[in-house]
Amino acid sequence: MVAPLALVLAACSPGAPTASSTPVTGGTLVYASGDAEPDCLDPHVGGNYPQALLSAQYLEPLVSRDADGTIIPWLAESWTTSDDGLTWDFTLRPDVTFTDGTPFDAAAVQANIEHLQNPETKSSTGYLAVGKVASVEAVDATTARFTLSSPDSALLESLSQPWTAMESPAGIARGSEANCEAPVGTGPFVVDEWVKQDHVSLVRNEDYASAPEDAAHNGPAYLDGITWRFIPDSASRFAALQSGDVDIIDNAQPDTIKQAEGSKTIVDLDAPRPGASNRIELNSGQAPFDDVRVREAFVRSTDVNAGIESLFFGTAKRSYSPLSSAEATAYSDDSLFGYDLDAANTLLDEAGWTTKDADGVRTKDGVRLTVRFPVSTNQSIPAEQSLFEQIQAGAGEAGFDVQLELLDLSSWYEALGTNAYEAVSAPYTKVGPDVLRILYDSAGIVPAPSGYFANHAQLDDPALDEILTQASDTLDPEERAFLYEQAQQIILDGYYILPLYDQQNHFLLSTSLHGVRALPTVSTPVFADAWLVE
Amino acid sequence: MTTGRPSSTDVRRLLSRIGARLAGAVFVLWMVATITFFAIRLIPGDPAQAYLGGPGSQASAAALEQVRVEYGLDQPLLVQYLSQLSHLVRGDLGVSAAQRTPVATMLSEQLGGTLVLAVAALVVAWLFALGLAVWSTRGGRVSSMIGSGVELVAASLPQFWLATVLISLFSTWLGWLPPVSTGDAIGLVLPVLTLAIPVAGFLAQVMREPLLDARSAPFAVSAAARGESSTGMLLRHGLRHAAVPAVNLSGWAFGYLISGAVVVETIFARPGLGRTLLQAVTVRDVPVVTGVVLVSAAAYVVVMLAADGASALLDPRDRLRRASS
Repeated sequence: MVAPLALVLAACSPGAPTASSTPVTGGTLVYASGDAEPDCLDPHVGGNYPQALLSAQYLEPLVSRDADGTIIPWLAESWTTSDDGLTWDFTLRPDVTFTDGTPFDAAAVQANIEHLQNPETKSSTGYLAVGKVASVEAVDATTARFTLSSPDSALLESLSQPWTAMESPAGIARGSEANCEAPVGTGPFVVDEWVKQDHVSLVRNEDYASAPEDAAHNGPAYLDGITWRFIPDSASRFAALQSGDVDIIDNAQPDTIKQAEGSKTIVDLDAPRPGASNRIELNSGQAPFDDVRVREAFVRSTDVNAGIESLFFGTAKRSYSPLSSAEATAYSDDSLFGYDLDAANTLLDEAGWTTKDADGVRTKDGVRLTVRFPVSTNQSIPAEQSLFEQIQAGAGEAGFDVQLELLDLSSWYEALGTNAYEAVSAPYTKVGPDVLRILYDSAGIVPAPSGYFANHAQLDDPALDEILTQASDTLDPEERAFLYEQAQQIILDGYYILPLYDQQNHFLLSTSLHGVRALPTVSTPVFADAWLVE
Repeated sequence: MTTGRPSSTDVRRLLSRIGARLAGAVFVLWMVATITFFAIRLIPGDPAQAYLGGPGSQASAAALEQVRVEYGLDQPLLVQYLSQLSHLVRGDLGVSAAQRTPVATMLSEQLGGTLVLAVAALVVAWLFALGLAVWSTRGGRVSSMIGSGVELVAASLPQFWLATVLISLFSTWLGWLPPVSTGDAIGLVLPVLTLAIPVAGFLAQVMREPLLDARSAPFAVSAAARGESSTGMLLRHGLRHAAVPAVNLSGWAFGYLISGAVVVETIFARPGLGRTLLQAVTVRDVPVVTGVVLVSAAAYVVVMLAADGASALLDPRDRLRRASS
């Protein structure tokens, strides 16, 4: 569950009078992002987290999710599903207008799905999310009918994401270059100017009136606008927050969060990303991790909790689940992951890795117990890379030769594509438990023509495939939750993964900034209800 | 000695000298383009993957195919190389694969910021170096030792460390200067200091010896005998001596500043070529990387030529050598 900011504030500075203070109109918020500047401000194109963070300020999706994990209306007021699960009718909010004056209607919804599915858009995240949508038809102005190729219990979750948010069809029709510069949505802010390498200026949408029902108010934002800056260096970003040059920073690292704890002027917003937890996946498709005893030995040989404690200073909570704690359907089992070096040694002996070479590395039939572990420097923060080094040392005690290799993104994809790994850590952000199907269905082992595949554990279990298919087909929430629990048990019991913690997503805010919350969908902060006081 | 009017031989010699320099510059730029192209391509991995959103966003086969065709990534490497070269020869830097905007537009937007930074840092470095070298060579042995110590330390300071210290001191602790670029002159102070201090150390080191030599040189003795004051000595003779190696080094220093811009622009969140380069390398955006490297190399070549010319003007021996050769 994503903690509402009020709770976080209360935890950090007891008695902070946030809830009782009255919103103040005016002022420009300065947001400092540590992410690379997006190449395109339209999240339909490509589709990554930096785009989601920014576009959540000016684009809105059809539905949202509340703090309990229930899907709630947003631009769509309500929806009905046919018995076979193949036809979905969405009733749209009337009287919503894009900021270019184009009406938001069923034809606009149709245009957006077609935009996502057009290869020329070069969409990847949004394209995958609407993969089962065969067509969209505008029944009337406020009714959009989705026809699916097969039932999809994750459809609403997929449509709640910023990568499938609604854009003005007239804006899209300007062509990709203009639409990348300034996409047009229905949100509380409007893209005013993008000065490359420096900042994006957003200004208030004076006619805004389409807030989701869990927002604090419906109407124009209190802020005049937002200056969205890109400050890649973590220490500079924090220094800029301390000096008051910026009001909020993202990608806050454990050391700065720890520093901020002592501050009376800075608070932490901890908003773990949804979808999968951060976890090390063990390649069960080839030796030595094709043997469950060797996988368990690896997991047992390393004291992950001690590592997280010392490297994350209490800012990250240990996970024992394949899913993020932001998912109501997450299932945990800590009994499987206790540190036990003796048990690890016994398991390796039983598995036949009985001899050791001069370096203390176990061998079997002359083969060393090697674990190649490619690490993407784009996807692992320094604290996590240090944790991997501790895991390397721990597993080394049991006789594993863990070979950590720090790689840039393309080289990392190459290592995965050529099966040159035994262990890997890859974050995956998606709303809802259907991420399990993407990551652990055996279909995910077969590489796409690009060489990409999502099932890094190479988990190939027909029983699991069957459960994941059923879960994707059923529209009964209870049955769905039960099926996903079974699926997670199989994944955990088989020691295919070593869960570490939720995908970390910390924001540090100046105490002069109020009313910020992270959307319970992909945990992006939104500023429709935010205000600044001096 | 030269005659009053340049002879036709002199003009021809000058022209051939300029021609040789230009040919050398073109050759350097060609090599730079070639090495950059192959270096970035020979690293394993599929650049098309990175164009489509990177981690957490998996491109469809159709989208990947679209990217490969659009940017010619489906062609053999040699064909891609020749095609890029032919575009470069026509002055076409191509279109950024990631940002889908012309590279020339991107670079012209970013070049100014980096040039302002580099030139300001070079000027400040010169002022620091002169001040330090003059102070330490005119004082006693103690100030000389302090001076050379400061030079050595300054010259060996890593930029990222220096930047962090300056931010902690002037932003977080004293609160005098913004830790990140603010778009005005005040935001330029810390980035310029970060780049200028190590360069000042180098420049002061090469100025020290000639300044000391100038004090004991025969012309100094005779000037002193004429009654020249020590300040006049310094201004008229010492500085000119000291300037020659420092000017020569300034060409190198400019290159150092341009490469330092990658670090400094990132830490201080300044727009510029350095940050553009870093981001382009990350997503393997070949046209942009090539463009930034070519523009930097061209700027470097121009500055080297200028430094060459300036030192010839400053050093009468060089003029003599040239005239009598």
